[in-house]
Amino acid sequence: MPQATEIHQALGAFDKTTSRWGRITMIIGLFFSLAAPAYLVFFAGLDIQVSGIIAAFGALAAVFGVIWIVEPLTYFPILGASSMYQAFMIGNISNKLLPAAMIAQATIGVKPGTRKGELASVAAICGAATVHLASLFIFVGLLGTWLVSVIPTDIVQTIQFYILPTVMGAVVVQAIVSQKAPRSALIALVVSIIVVSVAFFFKPFGLFSTAVAVIATAVLAWVLRDRKTLGTPEDVPVHATPEGPVY
Amino acid sequence: MHVPAILPAAADSNSTDILAIANSPVLWACAVGVFLVIVVQSVIYMKAARIAAPHVGMSQAELKTSFRAGAISALGPSLAVVMVAVALLTVFGTPAVLVRIGLIGSVSYETAAAAIAANTAGAELGGPTYTQAVFGLALAAMSLGGAMWMIATLILTPLLKKGDSALRKVNPAIMLVVPGAAMVAAFMVLGIGELPKSWIHVVAFVSSAAIMTGLMVIAKKVNRPWIKEWALGIAIILSLAITYAATRL
Repeated sequence: MPQATEIHQALGAFDKTTSRWGRITMIIGLFFSLAAPAYLVFFAGLDIQVSGIIAAFGALAAVFGVIWIVEPLTYFPILGASSMYQAFMIGNISNKLLPAAMIAQATIGVKPGTRKGELASVAAICGAATVHLASLFIFVGLLGTWLVSVIPTDIVQTIQFYILPTVMGAVVVQAIVSQKAPRSALIALVVSIIVVSVAFFFKPFGLFSTAVAVIATAVLAWVLRDRKTLGTPEDVPVHATPEGPVY
Repeated sequence: MHVPAILPAAADSNSTDILAIANSPVLWACAVGVFLVIVVQSVIYMKAARIAAPHVGMSQAELKTSFRAGAISALGPSLAVVMVAVALLTVFGTPAVLVRIGLIGSVSYETAAAAIAANTAGAELGGPTYTQAVFGLALAAMSLGGAMWMIATLILTPLLKKGDSALRKVNPAIMLVVPGAAMVAAFMVLGIGELPKSWIHVVAFVSSAAIMTGLMVIAKKVNRPWIKEWALGIAIILSLAITYAATRL
């Protein structure tokens, strides 16, 4: 067996490399992901006001702000520091990266939470990323672009017109199933119906309807939570954490 | 600001020909950039793992096996994401779909974000008000929202690594209830908000929800988790087909 200090040094070097380069690559990825809209807003000659973007971002923050912070907090104990920089750039964490890491650990027979387990999950995520990039490039980048160029205009129009209700119908059901919180789902349904009805009769309210529904549901779900199972922080068993965020 | 030299003649704020601008070479270059960054990151990580492995009693063969196991297990989920991504190509264009839905974000979050952004401009995602300018606004909002996840990761990871006790004291019951409820509410209100628009919108929403429910029930009955993976793509494509049939009635 190698010396304890040697192990320590080797892992220190691994942590240093992954956290430094993980951060650098993530910042560059961030730059490219923002460069695309920056081009459209500032250089493409489209009439897009910065004030409009701030308003849109504000509306988004009201709806998703909590999740921006909670998601990294939720995944950190499962992923470990080095994989955080991989996971939040590659995406599809709960449905692809976590299973990949778990299967790899099971295949070579190591436990999650150990250093060996961490290396196995880093390698597994690299493997998953390779497959994912390749399939996106081939099937979406090449074949998909060709497919769009050959499908008739009226189908394109139908997809564009009805994409929102189509996606949301399936996503709502998926979110309800994976959250396993029927009480919250019921509250969300009642609040949504009320908010949509108000917006229907009083048009200007429509601008705020999503944010109002989200905030009202979050507050009501908390106030009306099942205090028997979710009474105090200490009562919450670790395994009661939901399967993971649904997005 | 106008820069006619790099600008294809297609740019027109009021045009609903989204794809003319959504497939522009600059957006493609940015998408390829994100791809390359992930490739570089994976290479650096694998190299670091290879160097560290022997010191924790892990052989190179075990590392290779882990890589392969990860790759194989990602095949199904990746193709399921591909299916969803292809369905959205006409709405956001290939480069934006690759980066936002294929990689950083997900179909549920990005579609919701685009719809919310369009609403703030008094427009709607997809309809006659979904112009090139609204697409630009939606992409900006989606990207900024996605950036918040990355920024939160960049800030929180070092803090969590140090074992910051303040962060660990966040009430777990709140973490359990509030984000999930907020997410369900966001999708619910966006979906139900579509219903008053026309009976075809109702067909789209209800058929998609019904197909998803059916698939979830089947997945549970026959105990086949892969059905859950593919459910979203199947539900979206099938209900788009049903909706298309409804428009022809």
